[in-house]
Amino acid sequence: MKTDIVDDAIEIWFGPQHVSAHGWATKLTLVGDYIVECDPNAGYFHRSAEKVMEFRNFRQGALIMERLCMLEAFLAEYPYVTAVEKIAGLEVPERAKVMRTIMMEASRIHSLQFWWGQFAAELGLFTMLLWPWVDREFFLDAFEELSGSRHAVSYNTPGGVKYDFNEGVIAKLERAMDRIEDRLPKFKDMLLRGPTFRVRTQGIGQFTAEQGLKWGLSGPNIKACGVPMDLRKDDPDPSLAYDMCDWEVPTVHNEDHPGESDAYDRMVQRFLEVETSLGIIKQLLPQVPDGPIIDPKHRAKANRLPEGEAYGRVEGTRGVTTLWLKTQDKAQTPWRAKIRGPCFSSYYSLKHLVPSSKFADFIVIFGSLDPYPGWWDR
Amino acid sequence: MSEHMKSSGSASTLGRDIVNKFPEVQANPLEGNRIELVMPADKIRAIVALLDESVSDFLPESMFAVDLENDQYELIYIFWSHSNKLLCQLRVPIEGEAPEVESVSDIYPGFEWHERETHEMFGIGFSGHPDLRLLLLPEELEGKYPLRKSFQTDRSRLEESGLPQPKPKPPAAERPARPTPSTTPKEGGESPE
Repeated sequence: MKTDIVDDAIEIWFGPQHVSAHGWATKLTLVGDYIVECDPNAGYFHRSAEKVMEFRNFRQGALIMERLCMLEAFLAEYPYVTAVEKIAGLEVPERAKVMRTIMMEASRIHSLQFWWGQFAAELGLFTMLLWPWVDREFFLDAFEELSGSRHAVSYNTPGGVKYDFNEGVIAKLERAMDRIEDRLPKFKDMLLRGPTFRVRTQGIGQFTAEQGLKWGLSGPNIKACGVPMDLRKDDPDPSLAYDMCDWEVPTVHNEDHPGESDAYDRMVQRFLEVETSLGIIKQLLPQVPDGPIIDPKHRAKANRLPEGEAYGRVEGTRGVTTLWLKTQDKAQTPWRAKIRGPCFSSYYSLKHLVPSSKFADFIVIFGSLDPYPGWWDR
Repeated sequence: MSEHMKSSGSASTLGRDIVNKFPEVQANPLEGNRIELVMPADKIRAIVALLDESVSDFLPESMFAVDLENDQYELIYIFWSHSNKLLCQLRVPIEGEAPEVESVSDIYPGFEWHERETHEMFGIGFSGHPDLRLLLLPEELEGKYPLRKSFQTDRSRLEESGLPQPKPKPPAAERPARPTPSTTPKEGGESPE
């Protein structure tokens, strides 16, 4: 550490016991109330998911992926599933494509609702912690109706999906969407217009799109800088149904600092993400075609894979989520699986983003990047 | 954003530009607007710097090693450009017991932690890297390189790892009979939590 530069610098460990530090620890060097150096530490949750995958078959691997981020389970398992499909040559039926897309967007809304609550609580407003978390229960009801599980859904599987829609799932999804649509204006009033939040977030944790890209940031953190970088549009996946509906990548253009984003912009961006996802689900729900939900050859083809390499990608709630898969001939398990969690980069970027800000703003900057420790520790 | 993205936009053009400057690089087109560049390890820094110059919005998406056994490794770097919808994958074959390549973390800071992770997991050195401390592993596993194929995950090497040893189970006859839950008297004050 460079504490010898100034005599009165002190070092503080933020976490892992701190309430807002759910399983991570960052060493901060402070001079007075200002942070001069930030050293994010990872590894408190490390369970060597990549090594474990080398000993699990191609259906079990998707379950490991899902457990890295339970909040966006439908999205988290997808890169693994699509990488296996590419090597195995599985054809996903049309019905499964649309159902996957609907559930992935529902998962995104659910994850963002969780984030509002958590972010508001980190800023000190505990009422706002519980309001979105109550609404999120309605999505969990739909997930439970569909898969029997609230979080560990294990829905996507190589070749298609495991469970079919029924009337109960659609009714519960619609109820959850009606609820969030009804409450969204209230949340916006509270978070975006409330003076407390504006003062705490505006001008805090500001970076340009160029800086963010160099640090490896993606998803809403980059879109809030005005760059419409979104894999759903940029790299359309033939196994998903985003081309069946009409939507635009939401971005924030803040006139005070064009091309840059602060914590406030990232908060606005995540509201826009919810509105976009709601629009996509609404357009897709009436369009679910009839037919099978899984490739009939999935049993034969996904047990043993030919030699190959594939790169599965998805636009997760927090940014670009990918899995690189290498298999050997007639393999029952991957030779190498590399997970790219979006928060690996967001947590790293604190090193550059936090110095010269106030100690009290540290948690605002951290929270505004929507970090999830499972993604960097794996 | 388009004003500072000056590249041609197509993967094949980017590949041709690189191969013209570095004839030892082999360019393999992949499906879609994607390209793979296979290169010797001593050229990685120069080529990443050239990529940074030619496409200004490259996202350092992923970087990792693959163990091919017998001290053969591959390093893979993946870049994604939003403005060109272009994916560029670099493949660097390396070999040796403790191979070393040049770090690119000053060109793309996003790779700093990826290189740090690759170092602790595979034992590949990155010269010029600012900080190669352990990132994810506990201290006991330093220098053990768990993602190498030679790393045994069974208990045969547990002693070597320094992790706590499991207590040996006594034979079944010596074990005390487990009382059934209904007959167990609850100890005072202790809640099951």
